[in-house]
Amino acid sequence: MTTTDTALAREAERKGTPRVKGPRVWLDLDQRELDDAYDQSKYAANRAQIQERRLLSSELARARLGEPMRLAYGASEIEQLDVYRTKRANAPINVYVHGGAWRNGGAAEFAFLAEVFVNAGAHCVILDFINIDAASGNLMMMARQVRSAVAWVYKNAARFGGDPSRLYVSGHSSGGHLGGCVATTDWRRDFGLPADLVKGALLCSGMYDLKPVRLSARSNYVKFTDEIEQELSAIRHLDRLNCPLALGYGTYETPEFQRQTRDFHAAVAAAGKPAKLLVGEGYNHFEMLETLANPYGLLGRAALELMELDRN
Amino acid sequence: MGGTNRLFETRLSRRTMFAGAAAGAAAAGALALTAGSASAQRCAGPPPPRVKGPLVWLDMDQQDLDDAYDQSVYAWNQPNIAERTRANSEAALKIIGKPERVAYGPSEFEKLDIYRTKRANAPVNIFVHGGAWRAGRSGGARAHLALPLVKAGAHFVGLDFIDVDAAGGSLFPMIEQIRRAVAWVHKNAASFGGDPNALYLTGHSSGGHLGGCVVITDWAREGLPLDILKGALLGSGMYDLKAPRLSKRGNYVHFTDEMEQELSAQRHLDRLHTPLILTHGTLETPEFQRQTRDFYAAVKAAGKPVELRVGQGYNHYETQETLANPYGFMGSALLDLMKLSAA
Repeated sequence: MTTTDTALAREAERKGTPRVKGPRVWLDLDQRELDDAYDQSKYAANRAQIQERRLLSSELARARLGEPMRLAYGASEIEQLDVYRTKRANAPINVYVHGGAWRNGGAAEFAFLAEVFVNAGAHCVILDFINIDAASGNLMMMARQVRSAVAWVYKNAARFGGDPSRLYVSGHSSGGHLGGCVATTDWRRDFGLPADLVKGALLCSGMYDLKPVRLSARSNYVKFTDEIEQELSAIRHLDRLNCPLALGYGTYETPEFQRQTRDFHAAVAAAGKPAKLLVGEGYNHFEMLETLANPYGLLGRAALELMELDRN
Repeated sequence: MGGTNRLFETRLSRRTMFAGAAAGAAAAGALALTAGSASAQRCAGPPPPRVKGPLVWLDMDQQDLDDAYDQSVYAWNQPNIAERTRANSEAALKIIGKPERVAYGPSEFEKLDIYRTKRANAPVNIFVHGGAWRAGRSGGARAHLALPLVKAGAHFVGLDFIDVDAAGGSLFPMIEQIRRAVAWVHKNAASFGGDPNALYLTGHSSGGHLGGCVVITDWAREGLPLDILKGALLGSGMYDLKAPRLSKRGNYVHFTDEMEQELSAQRHLDRLHTPLILTHGTLETPEFQRQTRDFYAAVKAAGKPVELRVGQGYNHYETQETLANPYGFMGSALLDLMKLSAA
């Protein structure tokens, strides 16, 4: 369907004309349903409000914590990261990979996540990296930057008082996808670093198999190839997974974003590797992330537990 | 910040989620208006257009006013939040354990839950729940609000009290019970390791209204110190009952002139001896925003200590959720009020 056809079909539906389901393209979903299942705005009406809350909370958090250290991990302008430092010496490190459908977002607007870690005695590193449009649709380039950022943090932890042997990763949405790629990186082969470099990963509302994503409208801006689909589907590389996972999703997310996490969790468990499933009752995609900014929220609690900073 | 505020005012201050989403959809032809399903919730449609009737309160006709005292019109995600509240409260109970349940008065309603902190002689926060004066006797679903406070070194006392329906439509029995509960906590704080000279109160929604009535209590008549409460955090409450009386809430609250006068905190600021932090969200109904703004202005004009904190991008129920987060909008306000820091 063209964009106009789609718009007309939706207008007809709004007026009460039932929509005729098209041929199935993925599981029981037709093209429109699949497209919608990879479009958060169809399921999370309050996205704009939550974005505003995030920006304001981040401003307040930076006012309390002070401006972060800004360090470059690569050659290009975008390859930099923010470090919110804890006072403790040789402290564990959380590296956060932000989401935004691979297109949007930047480290500064996620400062609101740092306080939970910093006050619990861990450094919080928030990455900037190229977005998919600047990368001409090449997801591999994004994954490469994020992986190299994590490797850089491992090698340079001493620069900000971090303990490289306690390096953890967290990510949400497309950052959950990229975090999944980080957790299944072949560190020895690709970076000459220890295979168990990442000690744990909290991945929320991510994508772990790119096949249905490739079939959806997201392929209008992501230039999927067989290689990208294969390499960057974490669920297909569980042999390279060497750390415990905490996997979260909300019950008001799109059907596909719920399924992706459920399936990934089941596959990791079936591979005999440690994975905890966190189901956020009553939360949508964006609301889920807010629980990471609360040491007593679903994700915040899980993150501190994963990092053994749980003081309960 | 100026741009952000304007955005909220223009786009988000009315029944906006629907209207805003629908406008966007009309422009982009891009919004599915399907009703919710079991597995996932879809965005809802806009309200139908309507001819405005005679004005009954400020610039509002009867329906505008009724809607402005009906949270469900403005907070479309109330059922979702109720689900989260249940799940989060259960999870919190597993961490801090069941509260001690004590009777503070003679009736079956008059019970309170004490969530104890480990610190000795610790400050106490008394929580007055909301629910349009109707819901309530809420029992367990507040452990998630207690958790951050207990961890930060304060006791949390959640009150149960009669609801307006059981009280035959009168608000007086509710406020009498809550005042009795505060007096009970003052007299018995030491028995659970609480400092009777460090009592604070938090109320939200109709609990904000009732909390407002508590802080203007004539405590001297009860032989209690005027500053029995060292601070109160009142969120999204009502401080003048004239407008609620004109609204459809008058169908189940049997307002009288005496009730309206006595239980409008804003009319008794001479009896206020407790510093206040007042909060509301920018996505609340117009009246729930105005009530707090007007009360703040009146307290300030009376020269008494008060602070206004506005939650950008939060609706009525979402503001209370932030009380469960020590870094959240209301949670940090409470810690500031009680001079505690996040644990």
